[in-house]
Parts: sequence; C-alpha cells; structure tokens
Amino acid sequence: MAYQLYRNTTLGNSLQESLDELIQTQQITPQLALQVLLQFDKAINTALANRVRNRVNFRGSLNTYRFCDNVWTFVLNDVEFREVTDLVKVDKVKIVACDGKTCP
Amino acid sequence: MTAVFKTFQKNTGSIATFSLPPGMSYPVQIPAGVTLQTSSGHLYKVNVPVMVTQAPGGASRILSQPVQHVIEAREPTAAQRAVAPSVLHTAAPQAPAGPCLHPPEVQQQHVFLSQCALPRPTAPPPPLIPQAPVSPGDDQFTLEGIEFSPRLLDTGLPSSFPAQLSDFQAKTGQMPASGSEVGVQGETKGDVGALAERADNARPEDPAKREAGLSCDYNHNVLEDIVQLDGACGGSSDEGEGGEEEEADGVTENEFLGMINAEALRALQEGEGSTGGGSSDSSDAADEFAEEEDPLNSGDDVSEQDIPDLFDTDNVVVCQYDKIHRSKNRWKFYLKDGVMCFAGKDYVFSKAVGEAEW
Repeated sequence: MAYQLYRNTTLGNSLQESLDELIQTQQITPQLALQVLLQFDKAINTALANRVRNRVNFRGSLNTYRFCDNVWTFVLNDVEFREVTDLVKVDKVKIVACDGKTCP
Repeated sequence: MTAVFKTFQKNTGSIATFSLPPGMSYPVQIPAGVTLQTSSGHLYKVNVPVMVTQAPGGASRILSQPVQHVIEAREPTAAQRAVAPSVLHTAAPQAPAGPCLHPPEVQQQHVFLSQCALPRPTAPPPPLIPQAPVSPGDDQFTLEGIEFSPRLLDTGLPSSFPAQLSDFQAKTGQMPASGSEVGVQGETKGDVGALAERADNARPEDPAKREAGLSCDYNHNVLEDIVQLDGACGGSSDEGEGGEEEEADGVTENEFLGMINAEALRALQEGEGSTGGGSSDSSDAADEFAEEEDPLNSGDDVSEQDIPDLFDTDNVVVCQYDKIHRSKNRWKFYLKDGVMCFAGKDYVFSKAVGEAEW
C-alpha cells in the first residue's frame, strides 16, 4: 500500500474524474475504480522513485507551516524554484509532504 | 542587625537581652519581652513591642510612656540618678509575642525609660518622670540619639494613648512643657493619679475591636483599589461582592462590556446572514469593534488571510520529506520524489532542497 498522496496531482485528478464518469455511466463498479486508484498509487510511487533523477532547489519565505499526522504542510510566498535547466517563480505555493522514511 | 540575643528564664518569663552594637542602623524593631541593655549597663525590659528610631536631632531622650507601661529597671543604681526616665510596661494588655508590626495605621506608644525601681504593674501606676536632657557624658542612661518611636501594635493600647503620644518627640531641651501632647509628659512623680485615671478610662476599650476596625479599614482601602473588570455586568450581578468591589466607574465599564458584547453579536449575525454584501458591513462593524477592543488587546491576531483561502492555491507540490530543519525562523527542507504543478505545468523531482524564512 503506497501513499495515496499523488492522487491530488494533475495526473491523479484526471484519473479520478475519468473513473467517476465511468461509474456514472455504469460502465465500471466503484470497487473497480478503487482498485484502479490503488494501482495508480503503486505505479506513481515506483516511477518517481526509480525513473526520476533530477534535483530542484527552491527559496522563498515561509508563510505557514503545519505538521499533523506526520504530514508537513507549508505555504510559501514569493518562491523561486530553480532547476539546472530553468527557473520558475510563483507568488504562493503549497507543499504537502509525507514522511519519506516510513512508506506504507 | 547584628544584635545579640541571650535568652534566659526568669520568674517573669523568658527574657532576651539585647545589646545594641555600635554602628547599628536604625530603626530597630524590638519585640515585646525584650530587655534592653544600654552601654552603661542598665537593663530595661520592654514589655511592649517598640520601634527604636534615630532621632534627627541627635541626642534625645526616651519618650514618655503611658502609665500602664511599666518597665522594670534592673539596676539599683538608678535611684541615684537625679533625672531618671522611667520605663514602663503595660500590665493588662499583653503585647503579642513576636515581632511588632507597624502597619500604616500606627498606634504609637512611648517607651519611657526610668532608672527608678518601679513597682509591678498590678500596683498603682508608678510615677512617671519626664525625661530631662542629659549631656552625652552623663552616666545616666540616655539612649543617646535614640528615639523610641512606638509603632503599631496589637497591644490593645487604649486609643487615647496613641492620640496623646502621637506627637510626642523628646528632644534635647524640649521638655514635656508641651503638655498637650503626651499626658505623661507633664507628669511628675506625684502626679500619677491623673494618668492612671486616663489610662483606666481608656483601657476598657476593647483592643480587639480596635484591631478589627483597623484591619477592616485596611482591607477596605485595599478593596477599593481593586477594579473588577470581568465577571457579570453590574446590572445583572447577583453577588453583592462584585457590586461592592466595583467602583463607581465599574458600572460604566460593565456597560462598556455590554456594548462590546452587543456589537459582537451584531457582527456575528451580520456575518452569518450575508456573504458578500454583508461582509463589508460586518467588516465595518468589526473595525469599530476592533477599535473599541484595543484596550483589551483583542487585536493581537495579525493573520491577514483566512486559513481556507490561504491554503487554496493552484500551485501545489506533492512530495515526501526526508528532513525538515528549523533554526530560529530559518527553515530548511529536504524533500524527495515530488510532483510540482505551477500555472498548469507539471514538474517532477527526485530530490528538492529549499530554504525559507518564516
């Protein structure tokens, strides 16, 4: 059982919306949709761990921080994400981070 | 205070001898039952707590004392003195054991030192001899430069005595000619009866009552200084204590609080009833409300953004954390395996290191 953290990404949200549509049209059962999402969790976790090898630096000002149920939630302002190739600046960004050591 | 106290038992009870070391600073507090030993060696027992202070004028004599205060002179040589202040101690009212108190409401009693052998308190009041100025070089006992300014006490002294003794100041050359002050001052050896009469008349007064009155006054003054700002409003207060303790201004304060509560209710209702249109109204009310509450420090919340709005953003990073470090207000983030979404574009990273200042 991997983190269900990545369901709230563009990819994960799109998958959930599609599954909801299929359930609405009775093409799949909710149970099947749930299984699909669980498989998605496993796949995304493996892919991120094995198939991604880049590094990012960022700097900004911390607006809020929250640590609850071993989940950190930050809100940063005026953040600059720097990668080797390019640079992205955002006024506000929310970072949700689960514990990387104890992965379910 | 580096006084030396030696206690030894006598039929009269425990006696503590007190020798005033040189250079001791005044005022000195002498509890009851203390026997003072002067430099000349005379012993004077103080049965009433007294406060020994330094007279500004320098050499001064011991102040006279009410008739009831009889202090036994231990030195037989006292009789040889021409002028001998008499030490008296109270017979009936017993000074409480322990240090003497000197609260603001001071009952003054005077310690009248005498070198004459005086009869016990049960006997008719001994003669009171006004003190006469004595040169420093005299053998006579003078606690030079010492002024016994009586303080306080729960000794139960008659009220008349404090009134009489309040102004008593024995100074060199300042004989008790001002007899209006302490009645004892004008007393001579043979004029004891009048004093005794006065003392007796004043004695019946209940010392406890006076003490209670004093303490009550003291408490009352303290209570008056307390302003109650919390608790039930003045109008609806059921407890008498709350109403009594509040000053006249307290009523207005309660009304003030009532106004605040009413405004708060109004602000809440306005906020609940409407969203966009009512928000401005509620904010206006909230502004007024905030201004009124400034004295109460209710404007401490510096949050500019509501929490739900604060966390509602499109730019989200979903990742796992290896380590989150903080030093004072400097934060360091060590993240991994993350997916970032900014302005509709997605990014991924295997490792992310960040710094932020809170």
